Amino acid sequence: MIVADPKPFQQIRGFLEDYRKILVLGCGTCVTVCLAGGEAQAELLASGLRISFSKDGKEATVLEDTVQRQCDEEFVLPVLERVKREGIDAVVTLACGVGVNFLSDRIGAIPVFPGVNTTFYGGNVEPGLWSEMCAGCGDCITHLTGGICPIARCSKHLLNGPCGGSEKGMCEVDPQNTECVWQLIYERMKLLGRLHEMQNLIPTKDWRPAMDGGVRRSVREHIFRLQYKSGAGA
Amino acid sequence: MEKESHLWATCSAACPVHTDTREYVRRISMGDYEGALDVLLEVNPFPSVCGRICHHPCESQCRRQVIDAPVGLRLLKRFVVENTREYRVQRRRDTRKQPPKGKKVAVIGSGPSGLTAARDLALLGYQVTVFEKDSVLGGMLAHAIPRYRLPMDALQEDIDDILAVGIEARLNCEVGKDVLFESVKKEYDAVLIAVGLAESHSLPIPGIGSKGVLLGIPFLWDVANGERPFLGDRVMVIGGGNVAVDVARAAKRLGPSTVMMACLESREEMPAWKWEIEEAEEEGISIMNSWGPKAVLERDGKTTGIEFKRCVRVFDENKRFNPQYDEMETTAVEADSVILTIGQKANLDFLKGTPVTVDRGRLICDRDSCTATERGVFTCGEVMTGPGSAIQAIATGHDAARAIHHFLETGETLKLPQVSVETIGELPAQTAARARRFDRVEVNLVEASARIRDFSPIEPGYTEAQALAEARRCLACATGAVLDSGAQCAGCLTCVRVCPFGVATVERTAVMPAQQCQTCGLCAAECPAAGIALARFATNKMKENLEGFLKDCSPGAMKRPLVVSYCCMYEATTREYLREQSQREIEATGILRVMVPCVGRLSAIDLVSPFELGADRVAIIACREHGCMYTGAEELLERRIQMVRRFLDEVGVGGASLQFYRTETSAEASWPRFWQDSKRVLGELSAA
Repeated sequence: MIVADPKPFQQIRGFLEDYRKILVLGCGTCVTVCLAGGEAQAELLASGLRISFSKDGKEATVLEDTVQRQCDEEFVLPVLERVKREGIDAVVTLACGVGVNFLSDRIGAIPVFPGVNTTFYGGNVEPGLWSEMCAGCGDCITHLTGGICPIARCSKHLLNGPCGGSEKGMCEVDPQNTECVWQLIYERMKLLGRLHEMQNLIPTKDWRPAMDGGVRRSVREHIFRLQYKSGAGA
Repeated sequence: MEKESHLWATCSAACPVHTDTREYVRRISMGDYEGALDVLLEVNPFPSVCGRICHHPCESQCRRQVIDAPVGLRLLKRFVVENTREYRVQRRRDTRKQPPKGKKVAVIGSGPSGLTAARDLALLGYQVTVFEKDSVLGGMLAHAIPRYRLPMDALQEDIDDILAVGIEARLNCEVGKDVLFESVKKEYDAVLIAVGLAESHSLPIPGIGSKGVLLGIPFLWDVANGERPFLGDRVMVIGGGNVAVDVARAAKRLGPSTVMMACLESREEMPAWKWEIEEAEEEGISIMNSWGPKAVLERDGKTTGIEFKRCVRVFDENKRFNPQYDEMETTAVEADSVILTIGQKANLDFLKGTPVTVDRGRLICDRDSCTATERGVFTCGEVMTGPGSAIQAIATGHDAARAIHHFLETGETLKLPQVSVETIGELPAQTAARARRFDRVEVNLVEASARIRDFSPIEPGYTEAQALAEARRCLACATGAVLDSGAQCAGCLTCVRVCPFGVATVERTAVMPAQQCQTCGLCAAECPAAGIALARFATNKMKENLEGFLKDCSPGAMKRPLVVSYCCMYEATTREYLREQSQREIEATGILRVMVPCVGRLSAIDLVSPFELGADRVAIIACREHGCMYTGAEELLERRIQMVRRFLDEVGVGGASLQFYRTETSAEASWPRFWQDSKRVLGELSAA
């Protein structure tokens, strides 16, 4: 899932100087799970903003709402209607960057500000700790590496590691917390009885499906632009 | 009742009148003793009696017992009635009755079942007359329960309540003698026979007619009325039930040097309550088990002793009472008097020659409709059910009132619906193992040597501090965490990870099984979707509650700094701080107390929102060191406070405005000091 961290309060506060009616919008999926942007966090941020405005003598209304996902039209539409109906003049979204974009594309002349910093695709390795595990590079090679991704989990994204910075199984970039992924891959391949495969070089990766080929899209033809939904098939 | 879960708590299910136990205990812990009395009186017109003598099936089924010991519910009930006397008198005046129905009901007998039915019917608008052969109301409660267990004034409180509903009580009026049953039947639209089992069985054995042989119920009756029947120095009580124990203990208080009991049953089989037997033994009463009376020994017509034969079996294969004896094994015991307490029967002589059928001394009746064989004649209590408890009799009184009401409205017999009661079942062992143990608050009975001197009550009630301490032990079963229907549960597992009892799971969305939830509220506090609420003691509407408290306060009149103080309500030893504050008090002191059943369940927003509402400071007062009911709550709260302080620093309020204290000694002893401290520190901050 997508992992995010709350933005510093004062940075968010700084976005809002010119606005009078602000909606803090939580998202009920990834950012809820990583405790950064769900309904509870939206309530907290909204309360903090009201306190801060009041202390500064700034007259502004702060509203709060949370939708199941900010990356789907059906969930977002009611918010857009609310924004229009209630005359909201700025939105702070606690969704990942997708939510910021998704709203901005649809909301018209109302600014949408990010309330979190979207950080990575990761897993919840223990309560309260998320760790990066996928880079979304579009051309998965983990079948070659025992299911462990060197793109996401090697500081240098090396395809044929380890490098000289691997010390006692840890990465020199952050030896306290970060394991050398190539050490992990080695152990894993050994466990799988496939250690000999590591004598083969992994060839240069095709980076076009990553960002290098331009903005990416995913299409599922079987439900994409159904004619009867647009009225054309009637 | 039971709105929250559709599952009954085991305590309420076990109570014959289904008292909403959790609710009255909750009200006690909130200092609302009057509200607790309302809950009790809702279903039980005899709370004072039951607070003294109920055999408390609620406690026997209390789920806390697998953790440590059941909650002391009977004594909590007693605490409520003993601390709401003025309110109760006031309440009587406010009793609302339905408009008169223009129909009359006669109730024969004024025991717990008869009076319960009389009250119910009077409230429904019927004109009710109770016929009582004695000079006081209460039946066996007034006459057969020794005063050391049930003081007369406790009974009188209940009876005053009942009479206040508007019931005519005809005392010293025995149906069959002073007034004929047929004329009662003719005068009233319905008649309820609630005469109980007021007579003792005798035994067809040699010597039974000797001087010195007494029957249990008349003996208790005499003793209750201040008479002192001749017993001599050695007394033998025959019987192993609760009445036999009452007889033996009452006899002991009349001065004989030796009081013994003998019964057919083995110790384990004795029908008397275990605690009654133990208390009797403490008082020096010895018990001979597995002996059946063979003959009363006499000389010159005076009782000199009793001969027993060994009882080898009391019940047969079909569990029917069918004693068998070894006639060869006998023993004789010297005694100056023998009191027979081997069972009771009804006196139904007044029905002779009437169409109401009595067969071999038993009233023929249908328990499912509380009817006798004659149309318009109903029955309830022990005459219908056989020997039972007071609370059971009360339950049948309610049933009879319903049956009579239905009959008078429709002319038809009501088959009382069989209510199936689904309980939440036992507390699972793995949950119990993780719960913290708290000793049950016990009261010390008067020393045995002192209590046998007279009929003074032997058991003290709870003090207020004891009652509040005991009330907190209630697990509030099946009123725990529930996912809001509209919540955006993402299945994030936070509830699973913080639950100290291993209860929460995620099955697509969060599930907190009612059977196991310990109502600590930690999942609700940490839920990132703000989607978990507690069915009772809910704190999820804290901001609205605070707004409610503050909305009428005038900002100009408010003493500054304003401290919102969240306090662990379980540390209160009086209700001084539990009761709701007036607006004026909040203004004058600048302290708004918010009582929380464990401050560990306060969420981050609960800690921040007071500042939004105008507070200058938030003072959390937790329980004493290691005093928390809930495993893990202290650590989670500490971490949450750190997080919120950082946030308040960022917001500009200053994290130091969120203060944390731990109760020392008691709430009353330490909280005022904390509030002063809280204000002082703020002053210093402002100055700096």
